Amino acid sequence: MPDAPRPVLSTDPATFEVVKNALLSAAEEMKIVLAKTAYSPLLKVAGDYSCGIFDDRGQMVAQGPDLPIHLGSMPDAVKAVIAAHTRFQPGDVFIHNDPYFGGSHLPDINVIAPAFHERTLLGFTCVRAHWPDVGSATPGSYGAVTEIYGEGLRLPPVRLCTDGEMNPDVEAIIFANVRTPDERRGDLRAQIAANRRAEQRLQALARKYGAEALLAIMQEVLDYSETMMRKALAALPDGESSFEDFCDGDGVVEAGDTEDRPFTIRMRVDKKGDTLKVDFTGTDPQVPGPMNAPLSVSKSGVLCAVKMIADPHSLIPPNSGCWRAIEVTAPEGSVVNATLPSPVVYANHEMSHRTAEMVFGAMASFAPDNVMACSQGTSAVLTLGGVDYRTGERYVSYETIKGGFGARPNKDGINCVASTISNTMNTPIEVLEMSFPVRVERYEVLPDSGGAGRFRGGCGSRRVWRVLGNETRAAVCCERTKSPPFGVLGGKAGAPARISLVDPDGRETVLNSKGGFTAGPGSLIVFDVPGSGGYGPPSERDRKAIEADLRDGYVTPEAARRDYGL
Amino acid sequence: MGWRIGVDIGGTFTDVALVDEEGGEIRIAKVATTPEDFGRGVIEALGTALDENGVRADEVSLLAHATTIVTNALLEERGARTALVTTRGFRDVLELRRSARADLYDLFQDAPSVLVPRHARLEITERVDAQGEVVMPLAENEIDDIVAFVREHRIQAVAVALLFSFLNDSHERIVGQRLRAALPDVQVFLSSEILPEIREFERTSTTAVCAYVGPILASYLGRLQTAVEGMKLPRLHVMGSSGGIFDVAEALRMPAAAVESGPAAGVVAATLVARQLHRPDLISFDMGGTTAKASLVAGGEVTTTPEYEVGGDGNASRWLHGTGHPIRVPVIDLAEVSAGGGSIAWVDPGGALRVGPRSAGAVPGPVCYGRGGEQPTVTDANVVLGYLDRASLLGGALPIDAAAAEAAIERHVAAPLGLGIAEAAAGIVAVVENSMAAALRIVSVERGHDPREFALVAFGGAGPLHAARLAEELEIPEVIVPPASGAFSALGLVTSDIRRDWVKTLYLPLAEAAPERLAEIYGELEDAGRRMLAEAGVPEDRRVLQRAADLRYARQAYELTVPVETGTIGERALQAMADAFHEKHRTTYGHESRTEPVHLVNVRLGAIGRLTPLRIRQPGAEQGRAKRERTVTFRETGAVACPVFWRGALAGGQRVEGPAILEALDSTTVVPPGWVAETDADGFVAMRRSNRA
Repeated sequence: MPDAPRPVLSTDPATFEVVKNALLSAAEEMKIVLAKTAYSPLLKVAGDYSCGIFDDRGQMVAQGPDLPIHLGSMPDAVKAVIAAHTRFQPGDVFIHNDPYFGGSHLPDINVIAPAFHERTLLGFTCVRAHWPDVGSATPGSYGAVTEIYGEGLRLPPVRLCTDGEMNPDVEAIIFANVRTPDERRGDLRAQIAANRRAEQRLQALARKYGAEALLAIMQEVLDYSETMMRKALAALPDGESSFEDFCDGDGVVEAGDTEDRPFTIRMRVDKKGDTLKVDFTGTDPQVPGPMNAPLSVSKSGVLCAVKMIADPHSLIPPNSGCWRAIEVTAPEGSVVNATLPSPVVYANHEMSHRTAEMVFGAMASFAPDNVMACSQGTSAVLTLGGVDYRTGERYVSYETIKGGFGARPNKDGINCVASTISNTMNTPIEVLEMSFPVRVERYEVLPDSGGAGRFRGGCGSRRVWRVLGNETRAAVCCERTKSPPFGVLGGKAGAPARISLVDPDGRETVLNSKGGFTAGPGSLIVFDVPGSGGYGPPSERDRKAIEADLRDGYVTPEAARRDYGL
Repeated sequence: MGWRIGVDIGGTFTDVALVDEEGGEIRIAKVATTPEDFGRGVIEALGTALDENGVRADEVSLLAHATTIVTNALLEERGARTALVTTRGFRDVLELRRSARADLYDLFQDAPSVLVPRHARLEITERVDAQGEVVMPLAENEIDDIVAFVREHRIQAVAVALLFSFLNDSHERIVGQRLRAALPDVQVFLSSEILPEIREFERTSTTAVCAYVGPILASYLGRLQTAVEGMKLPRLHVMGSSGGIFDVAEALRMPAAAVESGPAAGVVAATLVARQLHRPDLISFDMGGTTAKASLVAGGEVTTTPEYEVGGDGNASRWLHGTGHPIRVPVIDLAEVSAGGGSIAWVDPGGALRVGPRSAGAVPGPVCYGRGGEQPTVTDANVVLGYLDRASLLGGALPIDAAAAEAAIERHVAAPLGLGIAEAAAGIVAVVENSMAAALRIVSVERGHDPREFALVAFGGAGPLHAARLAEELEIPEVIVPPASGAFSALGLVTSDIRRDWVKTLYLPLAEAAPERLAEIYGELEDAGRRMLAEAGVPEDRRVLQRAADLRYARQAYELTVPVETGTIGERALQAMADAFHEKHRTTYGHESRTEPVHLVNVRLGAIGRLTPLRIRQPGAEQGRAKRERTVTFRETGAVACPVFWRGALAGGQRVEGPAILEALDSTTVVPPGWVAETDADGFVAMRRSNRA
């Protein structure tokens, strides 16, 4: 392994290394505190949250091994608090979820606290956690509404705690606006506890090395990542390329239309020396439904893909310094740079998945050895809400299901695993059924869903829920039902997504990719999550690999005949 | 009172340590590991050890063994042909895992391996719901198809993991009974017996690991136990992953708990240093022929993780969570790299000098052993540089062919790189030390521990050779080389307690728990514990039964374990459990909520047979002088005449200035320039930088 390039450090290298890693492990510890104390399955077992440590200007110095989707936008959330409040005291805690103030979408609740050592402000800590419900007309807050005002409770950056005590007025407003306040109370306590743990770790570092040294090292960590990223970019071939892809729709069927209307994203990538520019000129204007992304969300997807392309062995610590060499621009008022009051809830993951995949698609033309084919390209969300027949209590469930990870230049894709911007976990069936009135009837690998190619795309999955007891108000949010995950360099596309509702007497209705529906007791919801695209022409696939796929049923004989002529 | 014997199989040597319980005196025997049949080497080593030291079988009070067989089978994917039986619709549970990927940004990461190929994942129609009620009866007729499949594919072990079997195991038990009756030669593991815990992937994975390694472990331990009985030695014990020992029957009941058995023994041995030298904070560094392992001892205790992944993959020389097979058993937390004395040095097509991951192992071994090895290894480089004796090792028992080592390094490394032989050898050592430093960093720096606050305990055949240089790299101020360092892990085997844990899953609100029912459950578990300790021959006054309970707030997913008082269980005891939980939640996470309902998830009982603590010693005989000199190459000095001491001849309190070499039967310690070594009366060597001493 070659030695990592090092910037000139003013701190001795051993102290730098220790403190850099201590910051990372503090962020990791936040994550553990949150998982172990939170109440909703989405947080405690599915891990839909990110934890970070920030300097006094809101630059992210360390992120836990969390979700790349939050890389680009968490710093903006912290900066929004700094801009709104300017003066901070020990014991302050802030809360906000406003996408137009550096948030991502309303269900992502940011809890942010300053960290002090004696009177010195060391920086900020932030836990962004996805609450399964934040109000609105639909349980799970995933309805296809047309303004952000319909998406749920919107909190600008407000002070939640003073001297460590929660402000009862703010608390009362929050818990009056969410469906399952007891569960949310547990989640909020967990978020505050995670911040407190990080503050304790920062204080311990300040005591040991001195506050001034700690602050200096935090800046050096940012510079270090910048240097590393610039060297990695410089090592890639230069090139310019354009890429275009379309989304299935925004969940709102317009008057006169019979189905959801697709729209187009256009991207131009310009890689030169140690910089990379991505521009979205030509992308469609924002849409009525919640598929509009604030720029920081679109940017998160780009940054994630660039990190995988430039640093494929994951040697560069991801932090704000990494992104100094990368510029992302987009026309204001487009679907990738939305303005108030456009609704945003779906775009958070669907648009950042999209922009990430498009970077791979664009760079395939000049950096073919560093890209993969399109992965599942969606977070495949299902929310359920109603009254649990077992307890008479309200519930809201939120799950995301994983499909294929793209085929690579030298190997197949991966079956059923989170890709690009996402890395949440599935909810174990046993935890899901103990928590909510559903029974999962199948959860399996979906044959023939990986795109054919020299290297086959990863297979998608199928998950089937039976609704028990009472009816449930459900919503789905998915992409790639009409725009299947593309292959690259001759590889074929993966199988598209498909969502259907089967009523108790067996009648099946195929559902739109996004929006709410009601499922009666005894009905089945069937979710086919996309596979990924293939890499290279199918005719070049190794025959032994095809035979192995046939033996284990990842590919059926009919598909082998069709795609490989076998 | 008598002798305790520990037998540890390494990649290259099988070590036997004998310790006199009374005086703590250590005797060591070492024989070559026999990879084609590990058990043969163990029996040979035991015979040699008893003969050489004049110890009779009836003088042996404890026999414990560390086995690599479980870990190796998983790492090399050479386990049994295994089938999995799941609830219909869920055959892919092991492949679907938890759907998170191991590395966020690694474009080229591999799909994690699955122990059971898809065609051997079988389904059966049945369903138990979240309340433990049967909602779909078991289709018993389908068991015949499973039996037919197992016969046709010559399956050796079957894992059965049905949904919600931790609440209602009736279906699993029927499947288990029928399979065991129809297939007497096939091992059957039920998830409700292995790990009656919620979360189907982790439970299935733990059960599948047991099935995958069970047949291999059974045949190995079975043969060994028979041979040991033939020698009239006491019952064989096996080191478990968490650092306690248990008997063969227990190992076969739960094969996953024998993962990392050998490395665990080494770390337990390091705690002996912590106790005896009053150094509670240590980094243990164990380097043998094929791998190097690091672990952290903080406050005198080993650190364990409640969940562990075995057989995983790495990135940039570190193991990655999400690539191996999860097992829900406590395992000592350690980092392992493929870097040992036998690691082979080579030049890659890009012209870079690489060391490992291939190892010459015990056969053929390094070139200098003259057993047919042709590829230069780290040991060969150490011979060329003079760190190891150029004539013989193991006190003369192992002749060394230094010229062959030089020729191999010349041919395979120096010539292709255009270097001198000594330069090439120094390069090999630098590369391997770099990768070992990475393992030390993982357990210290990467977890936010400053290595400058720890002492490095170096052992294993090659550990003391490289320890001082690694300490320089990490700025660790002190290196401790324990007595019998070459076979030190084997000492860990005879200092750990006998331990077995029982868990009973309840899943009920604590407020609804009937004290009589709890008392009854603890009573049953305690009876089992007493029986186990009596069978193990633990005297009354050394038996400990520890009650505990796992509690959480009703809506949480993870429990905290709190101790439960002994004696009768009434309402007061239940209140004390709740209080202990609230308190622990506050100290662990910073908050508590007394108004929230508390759930009782598991009750636990630990049965422990405490061994009398040892104070080990291998003292020097007389005030030693430089035994002789040889030419040794250090980067600070180049080739210099360097004094070589026989370690056993050094007296307590004697100081040796570097550069110097300290030789012992089973290991060689390098004291580089700028370091000073000091021995104590029990035979421990402490090295510090001389400018700080």
